[in-house]
Amino acid sequence: MVSYNLLSNTYSDNNVLCCLCTENIALQILHQDISLPCKQIHTSSHTESEVTMSHIIEIQNVTKEFKVLNRREGLKGSLRDLFSRDYKIVRAVDNVSMDIDQGEIVGYLGPNGAGKSTTIKMMTGVLEPSSGEILVNGAAPYKNRTRNAQEIGVVFGQRSQLWWALPLVESFKILKDIYQIDDKQYSDMMDLYRSLVDIEPLLHKPVRQMSLGQRTLSDILAAFLHDPKIVFLDEPTIGLDVSMKAKIRTLIHALNKEKNTTVILTTHDMGDVDALCRRIVIIDKGKMLYDNDIAHLKGFFGSYRTLKIRTAGQLSETAGMIEKDLPDFTVSSDDEWISILVDEDKKKVIDVLAGLQSSYDIKDMQLEEISTEEVIKKIYEEGVK
Amino acid sequence: MKLKKYLTLTRAGMIESLQFRLGTVVVVVGNLIYLTVVYFLWRSIYDSAGTDVVNGMTFSDTLIYLVLATALFNFMEMYAVWEIGRKIQSGAIVLDLLKPMDYRRYLFWSYSGSFVMNFFTTFLPTFIIVAVVTKGAVPMGINLLYFVISVVMAIIINYSIDFFVGTICLFTESIWGINIMKQVIVLLLSGATVPIAFFPEPLKTIVMYLPFQSIYNAPLTILLDGSPAPGDLFMILGTQLFWCIVTTVISRLFWKVSLRQITVNGG
Repeated sequence: MVSYNLLSNTYSDNNVLCCLCTENIALQILHQDISLPCKQIHTSSHTESEVTMSHIIEIQNVTKEFKVLNRREGLKGSLRDLFSRDYKIVRAVDNVSMDIDQGEIVGYLGPNGAGKSTTIKMMTGVLEPSSGEILVNGAAPYKNRTRNAQEIGVVFGQRSQLWWALPLVESFKILKDIYQIDDKQYSDMMDLYRSLVDIEPLLHKPVRQMSLGQRTLSDILAAFLHDPKIVFLDEPTIGLDVSMKAKIRTLIHALNKEKNTTVILTTHDMGDVDALCRRIVIIDKGKMLYDNDIAHLKGFFGSYRTLKIRTAGQLSETAGMIEKDLPDFTVSSDDEWISILVDEDKKKVIDVLAGLQSSYDIKDMQLEEISTEEVIKKIYEEGVK
Repeated sequence: MKLKKYLTLTRAGMIESLQFRLGTVVVVVGNLIYLTVVYFLWRSIYDSAGTDVVNGMTFSDTLIYLVLATALFNFMEMYAVWEIGRKIQSGAIVLDLLKPMDYRRYLFWSYSGSFVMNFFTTFLPTFIIVAVVTKGAVPMGINLLYFVISVVMAIIINYSIDFFVGTICLFTESIWGINIMKQVIVLLLSGATVPIAFFPEPLKTIVMYLPFQSIYNAPLTILLDGSPAPGDLFMILGTQLFWCIVTTVISRLFWKVSLRQITVNGG
């Protein structure tokens, strides 16, 4: 069992990832020692034909650096900035590698400013990597952005690519011509859309009159319209209500199944991840922290459970006392519950509970398996340290 | 069919500009106010000059010229600098860059629909009114055909200049000042605010060597001259064609280089 402590070794520079032995990747990143033999297996066991096997996206040791002017404070500083040549190099993406297969839905996660958008912009060809290689569909995207654009679809949660003043159907017609979609494919796609969502009331509504949810839905449909090989979804469910979120998840899932479209999904909503992604990639400060199945992610923290108790008296006071009793565990409290994150490798939940029961008056208790959200939160927080 | 993907943008632009009927009304009212000011300004200039003909133009020549210049401005001006600048600031330009189409062309064709609409909603009515009111001061002959050719080239030159200035926004990240400067320079040096005939001699010579006069002065000269000498006509259209090519090439190159800069250094 790889314990959670190993995470502190996360930032080794061994980000060499393998396309075929995905199983080992997490271990490999997490533990330098394990990664070395794996690297050897790597180079030796992959034959040429296997390597060229159809990865739709191949990213090899990609780094992206930006030159940023060092800004000074105040008016005087700003004036001096006008003539300043004092740049610092910011590394937005640092030696990231991954391979993505046709038809995968990959959750691309990381705290704000982790480098997610930069990676996506490199994959779409808007940015050029400073070093390393990206192949999308077998070609470098930035070298021929226009050709690459034909094969990808993009949705940015906060912006719309639709024609603001026009009814949705007009936007679709424009996209049909721009992407040179033939009539047959277009009508097939529209039939598919009709079978998946109630699209009729939307079609004749100008985009500017749509609610955010309707607009996002329309944007997703628009991104899939030309049957691209890859669709990038950048926070598609941001600001949406619960039922719309569910609708959009179902839609993405169905389109992925139906068209075998590769989906790269960035989100801060773990609900999206749980509903859609089998594989997740986590990045922070430009470095890759994790690339593996979501099931493995939970595996890391399988020995963790959250014990929630309610006691008589002031909860926050009690929580403080419990924290002293159990220095190894994270204790927090809210209005209703005191939550204790128990590492069962150290102490069984039952034992913790028994210990607590002897000294506190426990009114009620709950036991929770750790959620993806908490796991990710832990990884982010570890990353900050 | 390659042209189809561009024409669809024209169509979209036409539908889009039809959505904003109120905008057209406001533009028309605004112009009426502007033209009233122009009328009284030039009336007093001519009155104080004491002669009927100033710099080879009568009062009605000047007024016709300026009314048509205003109409032309309304129909050709696309505020591309604003649009590019705003899109750069908001980052929305990424979505346009991800269309399977060259951005410069994409934007041009997106505007083309409003050219067509504005031609029919603002320029043509103004032109007809001027023609009727002045009772034949505007010649109606083959010059109309040349005028159309000339206007198409003027649009291309105007667009290229706009696009060039818009590209500068990639570096400055501010739009206001640059845009105002561009607008003043273009409107003054193109003869849209003051007919070039009124410019002092040295300035006139310089202006004739600049691309701006090809935007307003050239098409209006052609339109208002019923029987131009073939040599003059050839000269005007030839100059326009020359600037068409030069400005297009320069703005294309500048965009390409800048975009490369952006893909390397980020926005």
